[in-house]
Amino acid sequence: MRNAVIPVKKTLLLLLVVVCSIATGGPFLWVAALSLRTTPEILDHPYSFPLHPHFDKFVRAWTHSNYGLYFWNSTLVVVAAVVIVTLLGAMAAHGLVRYPFRGNRAVRFLILSGMMLPPQMLILSLFQIMFNVGLYNTLGGLVLVYVATQLPMTIYILESFFAHIPQDLFDAAKLDGYADFEIFWRIALPIGMPAVFTTGLLNFIMLWNEFLYAVVLLTDNSKRTLPLGIMFFMGGHQIDVGMVATGLMIAILPVLLLYACFSETMIKGMTAGAVR
Amino acid sequence: MAVVKVDRLYKEYKGHADLAVKDVSFTVADGEFMVLLGPSGCGKTSILRMIAGLEPITSGDLLLNGKRINDVPAKDRDIAMVFQSYALYPHMDVYSNLAFGLRRRGFPQAEIDRRVMAAAAKLAMVPYLKRKPMALSGGQRQRVALGRAIVREPQVFLFDEPLSNLDAAARFTTRNELIKQQKELGTTTIYVTHDQVEAMTMGHRICILNHGQLVQIGHPLEVYKSPADTFVARFLGNPQMNMLKGTVALHDGGAFLHVGGSSIDLPAQALPELRKYAGSAVIVGVRPEDLYEHEPAALRERVVRIPARVIAVEPLGAETLLMLALPDSKEEIVARVGRQTRVRSGDTTTVALDTAALHLFDPATNVAIPYFRR
Repeated sequence: MRNAVIPVKKTLLLLLVVVCSIATGGPFLWVAALSLRTTPEILDHPYSFPLHPHFDKFVRAWTHSNYGLYFWNSTLVVVAAVVIVTLLGAMAAHGLVRYPFRGNRAVRFLILSGMMLPPQMLILSLFQIMFNVGLYNTLGGLVLVYVATQLPMTIYILESFFAHIPQDLFDAAKLDGYADFEIFWRIALPIGMPAVFTTGLLNFIMLWNEFLYAVVLLTDNSKRTLPLGIMFFMGGHQIDVGMVATGLMIAILPVLLLYACFSETMIKGMTAGAVR
Repeated sequence: MAVVKVDRLYKEYKGHADLAVKDVSFTVADGEFMVLLGPSGCGKTSILRMIAGLEPITSGDLLLNGKRINDVPAKDRDIAMVFQSYALYPHMDVYSNLAFGLRRRGFPQAEIDRRVMAAAAKLAMVPYLKRKPMALSGGQRQRVALGRAIVREPQVFLFDEPLSNLDAAARFTTRNELIKQQKELGTTTIYVTHDQVEAMTMGHRICILNHGQLVQIGHPLEVYKSPADTFVARFLGNPQMNMLKGTVALHDGGAFLHVGGSSIDLPAQALPELRKYAGSAVIVGVRPEDLYEHEPAALRERVVRIPARVIAVEPLGAETLLMLALPDSKEEIVARVGRQTRVRSGDTTTVALDTAALHLFDPATNVAIPYFRR
């Protein structure tokens, strides 16, 4: 009886996994197929397999559509934001965990409440502020906005990880003669590297795909990031579906590569604090 | 050359009604190995952390070579500490762990190499210098932790229960290793433990703490033989000292102790101190090893045989423990006898009590009656 129950349970679980995989992987595979087909081919048979793949579309998208520039802008903004947010977040998390001060809980609540506000709520006031301080339509301004929006989540993840580093290590470093910042830099940060790396990766993926702040805060074509570039593939009256799909694939590629290389590290980093 | 003086030290933690450390004073002489011993929560680690500079001192003075160091930051105290968890930096190999403190203090690379290699050789860790702490056994990690303290050549070593994470075999060898190293280096050492075996075997002196207060300080055997109160008497010794109810009687110019259904003559010299207990109860302490199944000839003059029923027999190999019930009372005692004993559970027997090894305590204060602190 018990033996019969296990295969049924296994089959149901497998079915669930297959359905979830199709739901998440299906659209991606479809876009991947579209990216290798021309728009007339797609309009004839939207769901067909790319029997005669047009790899040259990738070259065209890159050379004829400013993709190189958009890619560079995205890389610049996202890498800068990720580096800053990771460093600031790690310092804040370390500070909140290791230095109990009056108002510690209030500061933590204030920072983390940033995660609860939807970006649509902030966008108008943010636009006004950026305009007033002269950061509107600048890549630096967008970096600052990205840092501010990603900081709460970064602190939240790193704080729980840093809390699990034994206090004895910090005490030992103190007795070894190190000052507070050196202890953060030489002990907390390297030991917390799995979590630091994970938050960096998560932030990279989220910011690489970010659209709302970019579309509101950047207007010049020369400053557009990749998600904006893809949007401007869609002309006023007609949409080159094939090229949009190719553009999307180029945009997804870095994220895909990062995830393929570091998914295991990322999962380890996300669960490290939870299972100790 | 380092003398540590702790003078009227107090420690209060926020949110805790009781003081963690209350009016503790002692001096650790240059090159001395002082053990702070006590049960969990007695304040011994708090004292150690205050000496290290890791906890602020609520009140009192801490002096190193006569200089008050209450406000000197931990990093500037020239004190090294070995933690219970070893606190090895997990992302650094053994060499870097050992060199970490020296690098901060700006030693030239050649000197760092010399000191690290010397410490590694001393602790037999040379083959493991490139390993990360994760790849070491508990004993090896402990040696690295000790090495990290040694390389700095500090004025004072502090140890916070460094052997408690080791298994029995590793604990024995590491304990002896520590004693040897301390003797060779001659560095003033303060060692915290709740393990009486460590305290008895390692310390030049032991300082016993309870509820944040210093109860007794002295040479280990001296404290074992002359406990200041019932807490120390019970805390030192395994099995612990038997505590019985006794009554003091004075008549015919002599003092007598009624205990376990027997009457014991007490020395005339103790009379002045015993007068106030005449006719009243006292606590009688007897160590298990002062009870004999067959007393040695040399003690025959001063033993009293008391009848007892054997409740349980615990043969430990080298010796046997007898759990005994005394007649006329519900009191139970433990006797440590030879392994060749033939008594069995349920037997009625007699055990010889060495009257010269009796300890009497005041039942109101639990403090030893001075004559019997010997």
